[in-house]
Amino acid sequence: MRCSSDLCRFTSAIALALLLLGAAHAEEEVRNPFAGDAAAAVEGKQLYLKMGCYSCHGHEAEGAVGPDLADDAWIYKPTDAMIFNTIAKGRRGTVMAPFADQLTADEIWKIVEFLRDKNRQRHGGKQ
Amino acid sequence: MKSTMTHDLFRRAFGTFLALPLFFSASHGFAQDVTDEMLLNAHKESNNWRMVGRDYMSTRFSPLNQVNNRNVKRLVPKWSFSFGVLDAQNTTPLIHDGVMYVTSSHGRTFAVDARTGSMIWQYNHQLPEDVGKTMCCDIGNRGAALYGNKVFVATPDAHVVALDMKTGTVVWEVALGDYKHAYTMTVAPLIVKGKVIVGLSGAEYPTRLFIEALDAESGQQVWRRYTIPAPGEPGSDTWGSDPDNLKYGGASAWITGSYDPALNTVYWGTGNPNPDWDGVGREGDNLYSNSTLALDADTGAIKFHFQYTPFDVWDYDGVNEHILADLGARKVWLHGDRNGFLYMIDRTNGKFIYGREISKVNWATGFDAAGRPIVNPAKVPSYTYEAKDICPASEGGKWWNPMSYSPSKQMVFVPSREICTDIKSAKGDRVVGKPHWGIGSIKWNKGHGQLVAFDARSGSKKWTVEAPSPFMSGVLTTGGGLVFAGTPEGEFKAYDQDTGQELWSYQTGSGIVGSPVSYFVDGKQYIAVPSGFGGWTGWATIGGGGAPHLKDSRKGGYVTVFALFDE
Repeated sequence: MRCSSDLCRFTSAIALALLLLGAAHAEEEVRNPFAGDAAAAVEGKQLYLKMGCYSCHGHEAEGAVGPDLADDAWIYKPTDAMIFNTIAKGRRGTVMAPFADQLTADEIWKIVEFLRDKNRQRHGGKQ
Repeated sequence: MKSTMTHDLFRRAFGTFLALPLFFSASHGFAQDVTDEMLLNAHKESNNWRMVGRDYMSTRFSPLNQVNNRNVKRLVPKWSFSFGVLDAQNTTPLIHDGVMYVTSSHGRTFAVDARTGSMIWQYNHQLPEDVGKTMCCDIGNRGAALYGNKVFVATPDAHVVALDMKTGTVVWEVALGDYKHAYTMTVAPLIVKGKVIVGLSGAEYPTRLFIEALDAESGQQVWRRYTIPAPGEPGSDTWGSDPDNLKYGGASAWITGSYDPALNTVYWGTGNPNPDWDGVGREGDNLYSNSTLALDADTGAIKFHFQYTPFDVWDYDGVNEHILADLGARKVWLHGDRNGFLYMIDRTNGKFIYGREISKVNWATGFDAAGRPIVNPAKVPSYTYEAKDICPASEGGKWWNPMSYSPSKQMVFVPSREICTDIKSAKGDRVVGKPHWGIGSIKWNKGHGQLVAFDARSGSKKWTVEAPSPFMSGVLTTGGGLVFAGTPEGEFKAYDQDTGQELWSYQTGSGIVGSPVSYFVDGKQYIAVPSGFGGWTGWATIGGGGAPHLKDSRKGGYVTVFALFDE
């Protein structure tokens, strides 16, 4: 279907804006249930090592074959949801593979918290 | 009758002439088959580059001299070709009758007109999306092989694929292992007498790896040589008390071997034992890790072996290539090892001739008469002892990227680095399909790169070029008195063979971690180099890093081709 009238184009633009706002709102609502949980960060590191993440990202997530995960230089804004999705689904066209078949959602969140904690450490405790 | 006679006369009179259009029409699908004779005589002709080492001796020496040390300043780019994918571009392009066959990261192979860079066909291997989980060091590939009317490639998920040389369509495909268990491949195949020989990667994981020969026509297995003996076989008593070491000890084979037709012997390198840095439980020489296996080309039987680093706890992954050289009456192989030494070994019997330091070496204090290294106990890490400043680090010395040999000058040119490490080992969990390094802590200490020229006969250094970063490219030498090598910053450079003086440089746009080649088409010499940063780069950044300035280096994926500027 094509829009030929101004009214149709205006209505479509409003609908698209509402859709994007809704998506952004949904993204913001996804929070790590383990945010700030020191024990979860420790467990997250154990999972990170067990899964072999270190072989690409280094034992302290400082980067090797894969990028540094503790710094501030990310391609996409490192929201909790984006990090969770990358671990779960992988990143197409890169070496990053999906891990949802080997980790529960809680386990992925704990790895996210480990990475957040590493970033805080790099900033002297402040994120 | 008249017609037949005319045809015969015409063919006799113009047969040679008629061959020319076929030759020059190669890019349009009329390339001649690659024969055993072409491969056996690769060192005697200049136009092509039909196997990754250029010839069975793996010299990477092109006799071409149109581009030489007097005119190299006029070298300019003629065309470039994008692979459309990023990450480690470890390939060596091949050239056959005016067509370039080049592989890239992420399982792609291309046929390209070698004069213009126009694509003829493309093959995209359909990779499983989780293959990156079991590839320690990026989803790269080191090149293809050519034989008959086919192009052969090994894929990250451990398949060998035969492609129709004219169309790129799959003729046959076989899987040699389960990538989910870390049986993977980055190797360029070697063709020997109708067989396609490949070696497996995966020694950073619990694996038992092998070298395999397949029939080029059918893909059927001809032989398989495991690099770790089965229980009861010679060498099986060198892996300590844990019998599972024979199932999971690694010893990969991911660098293309060399071949001596007169001796009917294939020389193929093997890698580190697993776990890389923890030797507890595998006390012994761990045969045949870190060795050269001299294999019967017809059966894969081991004729003899030479081991560079017995009981490796430094990840001195000894897979590197072998340059076969004839020095007077001596038939030898030259091998630059990750453990820091350049070796000369008698290739008729595996006897040690010399070992010379490429870079600083302190993990060993020398050799016994048989070439076994004398280990410095202060540089042996354990669970309770952090060995400091071990030289060289795991990447050498000389890393995997191949060196080159000039037969006329009898000189070898070695891409190298001066980087050392601090290591403490640890007990790890041995889980199939998961990395198993045995590492407690590891730091790479800041160093620099170097390109080192040796007199092959004596093993004495002739010159050294220092650079801020390790040379991560393969090396090309030419009959024009030149040495070509690339840097991880993306600069492709030409040096004078005799002095090491830099004569020319070109920024390719991304780090060079593949190997340059040279070829001749339509009266013109071309130099081609792949670029695209990637691969194992933990050495650059971890624990301070050997070259921290390389962090987050820009990726790429292309080949750039040069020739002299046309006046």
